[in-house]
Amino acid sequence: MSANPLPSTSKSSSSAPLLHAGGTRPPAAMRRQEARVAYLLLSPVILLFLTFIAGPLIGSIVLSFFEWDLLSDPTFVGMDNYRLLFEDDAARTAITNTLVFAFWSLVLHVVVALLLALMIQRTIPVVLDYLFRTAVFFPVIMSWASVALIWNFILDPNFGYFNYYLELVSIPTESWLLSPAWAMPAIILVDLWKTIGFTFIIILAGLQGIPAHLYEAARIDGASGWRQFVDITLPMLSPTLFLVAIITFIGAFQIFEPMFIMTGGGPLDSTISIVQLIYETGFRRFEMGYAAAISLVVFAVILVVTLVQMLLGRYWVFYE
Amino acid sequence: MDTRATRAANESRDQRFFRRAPGWVLNLLMALIIVFMALPFYWVLVTAFAPQLKAFGRPPDWIPLDLTLENFRRVFDQVPFWGYFWNSIKVSTIITVGSVITSTLAAYAFARLRFPGRDVLFVIFLAALMIPGQVTIIPTFIIMRNLGLMNTHAALYLPALINVFGIFLLRQFFMRTPRDLEDAARLDGAGHLRVIFQIAVPLAAPAIAALAVLNFQAAWNDYFAPNLFLTSQDTFTLPVALVELRGRFGGTPTTVLAGITLVLVPVLIVFLVAQRRLTESIALTGTRG
Repeated sequence: MSANPLPSTSKSSSSAPLLHAGGTRPPAAMRRQEARVAYLLLSPVILLFLTFIAGPLIGSIVLSFFEWDLLSDPTFVGMDNYRLLFEDDAARTAITNTLVFAFWSLVLHVVVALLLALMIQRTIPVVLDYLFRTAVFFPVIMSWASVALIWNFILDPNFGYFNYYLELVSIPTESWLLSPAWAMPAIILVDLWKTIGFTFIIILAGLQGIPAHLYEAARIDGASGWRQFVDITLPMLSPTLFLVAIITFIGAFQIFEPMFIMTGGGPLDSTISIVQLIYETGFRRFEMGYAAAISLVVFAVILVVTLVQMLLGRYWVFYE
Repeated sequence: MDTRATRAANESRDQRFFRRAPGWVLNLLMALIIVFMALPFYWVLVTAFAPQLKAFGRPPDWIPLDLTLENFRRVFDQVPFWGYFWNSIKVSTIITVGSVITSTLAAYAFARLRFPGRDVLFVIFLAALMIPGQVTIIPTFIIMRNLGLMNTHAALYLPALINVFGIFLLRQFFMRTPRDLEDAARLDGAGHLRVIFQIAVPLAAPAIAALAVLNFQAAWNDYFAPNLFLTSQDTFTLPVALVELRGRFGGTPTTVLAGITLVLVPVLIVFLVAQRRLTESIALTGTRG
């Protein structure tokens, strides 16, 4: 796994196919033929790229300067949509909610997944190892639709078992998803339950990639468990942790399903996310221009985070 | 799991981070985590088989003796479940097969062929990795509307036939595999397509399989696009159908849980069979599709 998604393109040019020696045609003709084949192979993705990625991206940018309800003619409004974005309470709420969600999601995922990975990285019964991996990972492959509905029931004061057991140990209960104060924390934890297995697997792979001889050497030198963790595990794991933090943040910033299905963004907009705001603005209220402007803000944030990852990642984390 | 290897690996890296905690305390903690993670799933199963009047009792009945299929019968009475199942299979299969083919062809071209503009094109594709789906969804919605593709499955699979990440993944794989066999075949007069499908693809099978699994899972679970593009219930895929079963179709809680069970059990079976490959491919690719 690479912490940096940019591969070197230089290698490819040096290892390009050279079969000229065995060919009967002159090299120039062969090169032309090779290029023709290449463009042919690439034509489906180029076409799809223009239609469904590049085109729509440009479309969003253009659209963000217009007001359009899909029925009447679009009107040019200049920067109005962006100005509105800064004055709109709904937008501010959605951005705040999403940042809160992304922050806690990032912190909890990294910390909990690291603890889980360290926990399994011991000499333990094989059955326990298998069950632990299976149980922690299974929710990852479930659909958000199933997970959101299941937790809707579990957290429901009438149907679920959650409140029953809390009451049993005298912890005060709530209608968690109906409370503006508790709905977001509840969703953050449901998201943790659903996606922690993904973070866990990646961190575990990172842990197992640390050469064992480092620990052996440290043990011979009499380093304590904590010292080994601070001086070997953390620095050796930093590229993985950094990558996981970025992936988690980018994923969390685009969160939609749990809120949309579990609370519909409520109560009192306390869980509405940016993507749901785009959805409501574009596809319920048909303010296509404003929705496009909001979506570009999401893009800008993700772009900045990715660039920070690419630049900072090189200096900030330790690579062997 | 390759348990013996896992164990050996764990022993040599046993770093005793939790040095002060005795092993059995940690094992107990792990058991509690297993219960916490698995309990919701077990609860869904138990409740789906419970008679409507006995479900949701206090305390929860964890080992029910009185089981019934009435909730499942109600699912099939209220909604065309097999139709949804078929829709999900159809859409996910088209997306998986289609995007794997387009990605393989493109990745091969990027990794193995020389042509003007290759590096520029590749960097443009790479940059597209950063474009989140939400940015393109509004124009895509307008495109689908103008093409008259609203409420069709084509609106779901057409945009998904390109998978920039897949191109990138397979290209990396091709770059790492030796090209000797392909060169030999070319010298023997095999055309590029033949080389791709008879030599390069079989060699890249592990990476292609990993990509296919991830793509299928992502398509199978997708809720955003189906919820946006599908309006009439005969076109629904399973995730949308489940949510609508609770809402529009007014299913009782036990009916909804029976529906969830019907969706989850096949996933669980596939998961238990393919768990190792799946977790490996996720660790390998660093994506959940």
